[in-house]
Amino acid sequence: MNLPYILDSSRPKLAAGCRWGGTEESPVVLFPEGAIRVRGTGRKILELCDGTRSFSELVGRLQQLYTNASPSQIREDAALFLQQLHEKRILDY
Amino acid sequence: MIQNPLALIAEITHRCPLHCVYCSNPLQMAAAKSELTSQDWQRVFTESARLNVLHLHLTGGEPLVRTDLAQLIAGAHCVGLYTNLITSGIGLSRARLKDLVDAGLDHVQLSFQDSKPGQANRIAGTKSHAHKVELAGWIREHQIAFTVNLVVHRQNLDHLEEMIAFLESLNPHRIEIAHVQYYGWALKNRSTLMPTRKQIERTVKIVASAQTRLRGKVRIDAVSPDYYARYPKACMGGWGRQSILVNPAGFALPCHAAGVIPGLIFDNVRKRPLEWIWHKSATFQRFRGEAWMPEPCRSCERRTEDFGGCRCQAFLLTGDASATDPVCSLSPTHSLIQETIHNSSVDNGGEEGLINWQYRSNPA
Repeated sequence: MNLPYILDSSRPKLAAGCRWGGTEESPVVLFPEGAIRVRGTGRKILELCDGTRSFSELVGRLQQLYTNASPSQIREDAALFLQQLHEKRILDY
Repeated sequence: MIQNPLALIAEITHRCPLHCVYCSNPLQMAAAKSELTSQDWQRVFTESARLNVLHLHLTGGEPLVRTDLAQLIAGAHCVGLYTNLITSGIGLSRARLKDLVDAGLDHVQLSFQDSKPGQANRIAGTKSHAHKVELAGWIREHQIAFTVNLVVHRQNLDHLEEMIAFLESLNPHRIEIAHVQYYGWALKNRSTLMPTRKQIERTVKIVASAQTRLRGKVRIDAVSPDYYARYPKACMGGWGRQSILVNPAGFALPCHAAGVIPGLIFDNVRKRPLEWIWHKSATFQRFRGEAWMPEPCRSCERRTEDFGGCRCQAFLLTGDASATDPVCSLSPTHSLIQETIHNSSVDNGGEEGLINWQYRSNPA
């Protein structure tokens, strides 16, 4: 089954009632009934989801940061990651 | 090495305006005059944040009965806890809701008994349905997470589609469909509440189709009924592994029902720091790890997944808290469950129970 695809113009942000928590060394995203520990790339992506940046801007920023990965792979991976969080109602766009 | 708890379940009062026949509170409730003060709770919240607890579940009874609820939320928010309010909504006006949100409330879980007012009020033993519907609209005016919780059982499962449609109309972020679990009051009323196998099979299909239909819009979490499962639930994610519950009088328990197990001594947060209770109290260590496990759990490969099931259920049904949860198909006492399920499909639909069922009472 296909997930609803994120658009270039979508501006992802944490959904209502979802927020950062934990500590600087071990940050988590808190949501009803749960929390996810985010590290590395996942953390970077979520930090960019501030509701003002569009998905295409976000991907552009990631492509600048991770020059070793193929730009199309970065886009694909980021889209999948955000869509999964959207489905869990952790992210809105 | 014991991990720190992830969640603090704060039963801030056992008082409640509802009298639901499946209430998860113990039959012996904490009296109003024994309740912890605001200052006590603030200390508990601070201690739990120091233990790296992430979630605070404010529950009861009905937490709104406490007039200091906004103060409690503010205190918990201040030490970084994610605050969940588990409520019937009775006692929540539009203005008070705003106070709670301003205090830092992150999430409201509003419980529903049914989609039909008459049925809902019959389960709750009080008129509460209409207010809940109005309240749902007010909650959506705020930037907080909103879950609606529906408890399902024999008496309402036949119109599950209608109930899901009703919940959907309240525009929540999340719908939680929870089968009654048979402890406390629910166990007293089990013969009236226990669904039939036919109902369960139908339910699974309805929930799956609603999940597909509402994908990306409303998250539906369904808690399956353990009597019909092949293996037991990992109750509380394991005894003393993830959560610590503090009851209205300050006693710390590994779960809602643990008070039924004889011989356990519960330490009180008035006398002991939460950290000591978590790491050192005999009760929290009693069923940790695998040393207590009998066969077939001890050599079972699932023991690290379900931890032998629920200790309270094992005690309530077999008289031995160390027994394998009888829900498990490998348990030597599994026939207790099979018999109950069998009876649910041959009796008259639980109708006579409706006359005799016992409503939850209120503490002194």
